[in-house]
Amino acid sequence: MGKPKVLVLCGYGLNCDNETAHAFTLAGAAPERVHINDLAGGKTALEDFAILAFGGGFSWGDDHGAGVIEAVRLKTTLGERLVRFIARGGLVIGICNGFQTLVNLGLLPGIHGDYTSRRVALTNNDCGNFRDDWVWLAPNPASPCVWTKGLGAFELPVRHGEGKFVCDPGVLETLKAGGQVALRYALEDGRPAGGKFPENPNGSMDDVAGICDSTGRVFGLMPHPEAYHHPVNHPDWTRQREAAVREGKPFPEGPAPGVRLLENAVRAAREAQ
Amino acid sequence: MPARLEITKQPGLRDAHGEGVRKKALDYFGIACGPVRTVQILTLDAPLDKAALETVRTEIFTNPVTQISSYSPLPVPFDWCVWVGLRPGVRDNPGATAAEAVTDVLGFRFEKDHAVYTSARYCFEGANLSREDMERVARELLANDIIQQWRVFHKDEWDPAKGIGLIIPKVRINRAPSVTVVPVPTDGDLLRVSRERGLELNPNDIPAIRAYFLREDVLEARKAVGLEAPTDVELEYISQARSDHCNHNTFRGVFHYKEPAAGVAQTITSLFKTCIEEPTLAVQRQKPWVVSVLWDNAGVARFDDSHYYTITGETHNSPSNMEAYGGSLTGIVGVYRDPMGTGLGSRLIAGAYGFCVGHRDYAGDLTPRLHPRRLLDGVVEGVKDGGNKSGIPTPHGLLWFDPGYMGKCLVFVTALGLMPATVAGKPSELKSAAPGDLIVMCGGRVGKDGIHGVTASSAIFSESTPAGHVQIGDPYTQKKMHDFLLEARDQGLITYITDNGGGGLSSSVGESARTSGGAFVELDKAPLKYEGLDQWEIWVSESQERMTVGIRPESLAVFMALAQKHAVEATVIGRYTDSGKLHITHEGKTCAYIDLAFLESEFPRWEFDCEWRTPQERGLFEPVLGEPRDYGALLLAMLDRPNIASREWIGRQYDHEVQGASVIKPFVGVKRDVPGDAGVLRPVLTSDRGVAVAQAIAPALSRIDAGLMAAVVVDEALRRVTAVGADPDETGGVDNFCWPSIRYDPVSNPDGRHKAAQLVRACLALKDSCLALGLPLLSGKDSMYVDGRLPGRFGETHKVSAPETLMFTASGIVPDTRLCQTPDPKFAGDALYVLGLTKDEPGGSEYYEMLGYTGANAPVADPAATLALCRALHSAVCQGLPASVHGVYRGGLGVHLALTVLAGNLGLDVDLGRVPGAERLPAWKTLYSESAGRFLVTVDPARETAFLNLFRGLPLARLGTVSEAPRLKVSKGGDVLLDTDADTLRAAWKKRFGGLV
Repeated sequence: MGKPKVLVLCGYGLNCDNETAHAFTLAGAAPERVHINDLAGGKTALEDFAILAFGGGFSWGDDHGAGVIEAVRLKTTLGERLVRFIARGGLVIGICNGFQTLVNLGLLPGIHGDYTSRRVALTNNDCGNFRDDWVWLAPNPASPCVWTKGLGAFELPVRHGEGKFVCDPGVLETLKAGGQVALRYALEDGRPAGGKFPENPNGSMDDVAGICDSTGRVFGLMPHPEAYHHPVNHPDWTRQREAAVREGKPFPEGPAPGVRLLENAVRAAREAQ
Repeated sequence: MPARLEITKQPGLRDAHGEGVRKKALDYFGIACGPVRTVQILTLDAPLDKAALETVRTEIFTNPVTQISSYSPLPVPFDWCVWVGLRPGVRDNPGATAAEAVTDVLGFRFEKDHAVYTSARYCFEGANLSREDMERVARELLANDIIQQWRVFHKDEWDPAKGIGLIIPKVRINRAPSVTVVPVPTDGDLLRVSRERGLELNPNDIPAIRAYFLREDVLEARKAVGLEAPTDVELEYISQARSDHCNHNTFRGVFHYKEPAAGVAQTITSLFKTCIEEPTLAVQRQKPWVVSVLWDNAGVARFDDSHYYTITGETHNSPSNMEAYGGSLTGIVGVYRDPMGTGLGSRLIAGAYGFCVGHRDYAGDLTPRLHPRRLLDGVVEGVKDGGNKSGIPTPHGLLWFDPGYMGKCLVFVTALGLMPATVAGKPSELKSAAPGDLIVMCGGRVGKDGIHGVTASSAIFSESTPAGHVQIGDPYTQKKMHDFLLEARDQGLITYITDNGGGGLSSSVGESARTSGGAFVELDKAPLKYEGLDQWEIWVSESQERMTVGIRPESLAVFMALAQKHAVEATVIGRYTDSGKLHITHEGKTCAYIDLAFLESEFPRWEFDCEWRTPQERGLFEPVLGEPRDYGALLLAMLDRPNIASREWIGRQYDHEVQGASVIKPFVGVKRDVPGDAGVLRPVLTSDRGVAVAQAIAPALSRIDAGLMAAVVVDEALRRVTAVGADPDETGGVDNFCWPSIRYDPVSNPDGRHKAAQLVRACLALKDSCLALGLPLLSGKDSMYVDGRLPGRFGETHKVSAPETLMFTASGIVPDTRLCQTPDPKFAGDALYVLGLTKDEPGGSEYYEMLGYTGANAPVADPAATLALCRALHSAVCQGLPASVHGVYRGGLGVHLALTVLAGNLGLDVDLGRVPGAERLPAWKTLYSESAGRFLVTVDPARETAFLNLFRGLPLARLGTVSEAPRLKVSKGGDVLLDTDADTLRAAWKKRFGGLV
């Protein structure tokens, strides 16, 4: 069986496509970087891929709200094909700007097959500025999310100015009831951050860092899994190495958490093949 | 009829931007307002019907979860409303993307007269606010009068139906473009023309320029193309090409250097040749990894067998001083075009910054255009938007305060790129346009922005500096172009590539034409932002985000198809020739015809008188200081110094992880808040090889001797990259000189000879250091005239000159990033070592500065000793022996022991009596002398012997031990001098800027 094919979008100010493709390669997939216009213009067929990745960056300069114009371009060109891609079992991830695009497309929250309604938003951080920092994340074990399945608490970097998750309280209740709140900002011990800054870096409601649709195959998150694909990406790695050396242990052990998250989806795609 | 769409956050949702405005109004001006809400405004100047307008409102511009919007003014409550929009002709990036989205949704195509304009209004609540308050907030906080306009409305004068009205900032220039012929019968006439047009021609150049246009052969050749006297296009071109910014006339000048007391007198012709080119070529002969230096937009060094990295550094001082945000944004985005335009083109992998400004809390009588605090906020934000939106990590940078930078601030921007060693089978570091190749302008369009930027930065800042030279960079447009050009490069389509920076087309085409031997340019082909630009303006405009590319005619179709895919504008504007001429036409009519050879020669060198008097002759001496009683309070005061205190708020705003290559971040340690010695990246994601980059400056030492200063900054930069794990023998440097005016004038620059001598001494020291260290100068730039005239208390002006500043950037190869080191001690019980000698060198130190002294005994770097230590340390790092490594820099051992404690959140128990070199020094000198060449290293006792074996014959000593309780304990001969816990140290270090975000 071949490696699952991943379509990684690039162009128009997106800027994480190289490392996103690299991290998918490490996760056992066959990624391909595809310019938004090649997908929108029909040169590349979405249907040839198992996974669609909306990566980070500043699409269209983030003017008029992060991810807004990228969503417009894909909605007006691909539209229904995106929904059919999901319906046929395709997996979708939106990271940072990609998450913002997914919520503007309405692919998220994707409650019970509604893939067109904009019901949640990612807005300006409460701290008032762009922020680059590492955060603890707690996956929700009760979530149907394919991407976070089986992961314990782990760390990833956030790098955004518009990552505060907001929605109507009723919508949040629906998301919680359906296990769609897949990932929360957490304290080091894995408990939710409880809104505490900088553990919750942007003031997100209920510490939401990532949500999935009702199927669990469409997942969006503000932190960057592709930026933790190698042990040396972690801010404490020199201390982790020194500790391992003194205990006579190898460093590192196993793939980096960002890769493990992508592996979940690659495994699911392979099983679906 | 244009339509005006207003958008705002839903009531009850926090308006983070408005909150920021409220806070700054209070912090900057003491103006206390109530809540501030922002309303975004889109003015659609296009024939769209009601249904279409409603579609774009709901489908694009209104988030149903967070926003409300209306084509009528939104009833947001206020006491005062301030509208801010762009002035006509200023690039409106969000307006352009809005138009793109409207086209996507409606299929409507924007014609020449259609546009979308963005603006905003701020609704202030506060019954006590006055019009004066609001005018001030508008003028000094919300708007920049160079690029923006504003209007202030009181609630009583607001018409809720009309709102701000319809404001269309469209440029209308109602005249046909024209070429002016400028007869210059005498030298005096040319001088007058130069003054009138702001050409800034050097008086020495004028006879040579006139003589050229009077040459028989030149006259005859010009006659054949319909020209006689020089045209404005030609004079502007010559002015650009001859400006100090482009031509580096200062560094290529003749320096008459004297040391009267020592009886020394020597003449140095071209500091560039003597002190930069010659040592670099000498080092290059020894080091084959130095691939391409001294000619291209950036230096090229080998990364691994199949990749090169490229590096350069620039400044953007004058524009940032005028408009902090736009200036620094344009600076960082601009320097990113240099690696892009090096060889056949690099992918950008990192940026770095250096900001030099007046004190943030300055409360004196001088009134610079922007108070240092606002200037700093602006430049910090500009690099944030420029770097982050370019998708390029910013892993390192520095900030320095000195009152001298109030005259003109310094904004250093550095860029690193990566390119394959070969492109389509050809060496990537070489480029050459062949006759017949097409000249393609890619990226943005040409407007009036940036005209005379180059000549303005070659002049002292004053009230008459033309405001028009400020531009606002657009990282989004440039990122698209970057992706496009890399794809074109990999397909082997590019024969020549260079950026349009200072001087615009005149510089990029002029420079590339030298490789083919000529160029023919049709200026009317260049796409314009708006009509009405004169030919000379098109030729020298510095509109941003443009690259000039040479391609073979047969590649054109493929190249253009790629451009279309990436949504990048690309236009053929001419072709390269071998005519020896730069031939420019407009609608078929010649407007310039100049021999390329003319600009490369025939000009007299600039001459400078330099007179060096020793620090002692200048009245500098060591202060007579006794032993302090309270070493604990002294250390806390040092940690709170503006140039020592934590600057975390800056680096946190900068994305340092994008591209997934991050190894050593700007902040390290247990609490991730201590600055790393250098940034490290592994730009080839499949390889563990890395590149380290670090910067250093030491302007305080220039008060004593800029020569000593230069040697110290080179030493520091090398130690910084060595500390993290770079190989000192595979490390190169970038020199950025920023100097006040060095031309002596008894009235306007009475100490010009001293400043010129300082430049000579710095250059000679740089040369000596580079030769001794085997360090090639991969790239460099100079920016002179770092002076300003500031109004004082009574309206009198004061000339303020910056301290002589050399920013030195080191970049070094890390053979295996998995062995990198950070400054944090990791285990209690480890041994603490200091490497290098601590000498009686407190002159120019932070300690003296705190006490109000300069002193005389500045640190004297010893490059040979530093190299030996760096090599031994690198061996130790490669064998995995240290547990932590940190260099000792500004603030000396005292400050850097404290930072080491903070990094590890473990204790250090230090005996100063063991510090090598300091046996006879009082404890305060041991702690606060800033001798070069030192490191602090912790080592696992199990690896101590192996570690020490590598340092035989080198100065090092075990100062103490790492302990569990996080505190710094310093003693000498059994007396405890200080014993302070980490929380207290951290609080002192973060007190000053810790609250900033």
